[in-house]
Amino acid sequence: MSEPIRPKATIGGIPIHAMFVPFPIVCFIGALVTDIAYAQTANIQWSNFSAWLIAFGTLFAGIAAIFGAIDFFFGSHDRPAIGWVHMIGNLTLFVVALVNNFVHARDGWTSVVPTGLTLSVISVLILIVTGHLGHRLSFYHVVVGDRR
Amino acid sequence: MNPRLLVAAGPVLALAALSLGGCSKEIIDPSRQIGADPFLPAPRQFLLPPMGIANVVGWKDGQTPTVPAGFTITAFASDLAGPRRVLGLPNGDVLVVESGGPGLEGVNRPKDIIYRMVLSDSHAGKAPANDLLLLRDTDGDGRADQKVVLARNLDSPFGIVVNGGHLYVAETGDILRWDFTPGQTSLGKPVKLTDLPKGTIDHHWTKDLTISPDGSRLYAGVGSNSNIVENGLNAEEGRAAIWEIHPEDGAKRIYASGLRNPNGLTFNPTSGQLWTVVNGRDELGNDLVPDYMTHVQDGAFYGWPWSYYGQHVDKRVKPANPAMVKKAIPPDYALSSHVAALGLTFENGSAFPAQYKGGAFVGEHGSWDREKPNGYQVAFVPFANGKPSGKAVTFVGGFTDKDFTVRGRPVGVGFDASGALLIADDGGNVVWRVAAKTRAPAGAKPPAH
Repeated sequence: MSEPIRPKATIGGIPIHAMFVPFPIVCFIGALVTDIAYAQTANIQWSNFSAWLIAFGTLFAGIAAIFGAIDFFFGSHDRPAIGWVHMIGNLTLFVVALVNNFVHARDGWTSVVPTGLTLSVISVLILIVTGHLGHRLSFYHVVVGDRR
Repeated sequence: MNPRLLVAAGPVLALAALSLGGCSKEIIDPSRQIGADPFLPAPRQFLLPPMGIANVVGWKDGQTPTVPAGFTITAFASDLAGPRRVLGLPNGDVLVVESGGPGLEGVNRPKDIIYRMVLSDSHAGKAPANDLLLLRDTDGDGRADQKVVLARNLDSPFGIVVNGGHLYVAETGDILRWDFTPGQTSLGKPVKLTDLPKGTIDHHWTKDLTISPDGSRLYAGVGSNSNIVENGLNAEEGRAAIWEIHPEDGAKRIYASGLRNPNGLTFNPTSGQLWTVVNGRDELGNDLVPDYMTHVQDGAFYGWPWSYYGQHVDKRVKPANPAMVKKAIPPDYALSSHVAALGLTFENGSAFPAQYKGGAFVGEHGSWDREKPNGYQVAFVPFANGKPSGKAVTFVGGFTDKDFTVRGRPVGVGFDASGALLIADDGGNVVWRVAAKTRAPAGAKPPAH
């Protein structure tokens, strides 16, 4: 068993990264739901929901990334492989979300169908992988110090 | 697996995605989109739509727009606050409407915040007034020396008509009527003739107005409440249409529809038909959709929102409506893409040379949804027998440079009693007067005084 990672950017011992991470998770999953709702109904309110969710998701993903990077690069000399995968996966997610903002800025149907909806699906698929790895990092590497 | 290689992959992916959005915005010569049968490229969608934003710097002292040989141009009035409509009265007086939008549109999407910041440069630095002015040139030097405010703080006024002892002004939410005889320099209390669609968004807020030659019906243009129904179809009730209104009791009906943003409503003096210029939809590319002018048929449908330029379906509009697309008729004459035609007047017995007889003058406010400027001029379209008979040419130019350094933006156009063309320039805050240098040829109406 190796030393646990010690997060560097914390408030009262709680990593700031962990505080911001739920925002993009909820926003991007929410955007997929509202994209599907728009594709089903063509009711413009759902596409507006999506545009806001993706915008705030991207913003908070950026903030979370900064604190995550601080923890990862300055918190420990011992960087696990799943940390790298988690980071690169989320950087990719960030780029996909950025592009999705521009697609959702179009007017009407083509702001969602098919490109916007496709990017929302890809975002959530990446999230499932990177989110899982993130939880493994925090539960095993930070809390237990166990490399599994 | 080299982690550092993977770290590099993110930004590279980002660049690739952005270049995908930034590249291959083709651009064609606008002359291919002028006339009855414009070239229409395939519609395109973008991550970032093509844009070129006017940087309005105004006119320096002594600077004027350019006119063809044989004409002079002078500032009839300057230092105004958002002049958008001009109307020459038979006694030589000139009415000018200064106006700005009602600013009702809220932020519905993150995009609205960005667009507001990007487009803020494209208006004159000075805030527009919402006044109706009377300008008078008492010494006949082509410059107004008297200025009277006839009505103050109107609700985003635009169209004006003087007919049969009345003055009508289309505000963005209604039509007001005053008792008025040319020569008057003050007004009494107006009556509200009728409401016009305004609502809580009022995206295209300019309500233009004209009257039939026999004075029996008013016609008001009501633009759409969105670019392409991004505010929902319910918001478009009564909009993208020309309304016919009874000038005495205000009874009204929709005369023609599917006209995204109709302005410059004018009756052609030769044919007696109602004409309008219309602004087409945005964000389909540098060269879609051409703005146009057309005579307007009673009961006709011109496509918006479901189709453009006849029956070219716009797939951004859902649910689709094939039945309405089938009804859509193409307009008469394309003016090329994104010129933002807002003013139209026909030559009718002016002091202009023979080749201009009966032709159309179009005030083109100028493009934003295009990488190179288009419009920013008063175009001339020759007419014969009340129909366009040749290619549009620049009549008054010099409003912008190729890099979008913009001195002025033409809106409304109209002839004054002396047979000179007046142009409302809301970028330069000037009303320009274009006069023929030589006297009118025999047969033309002599200038009135």
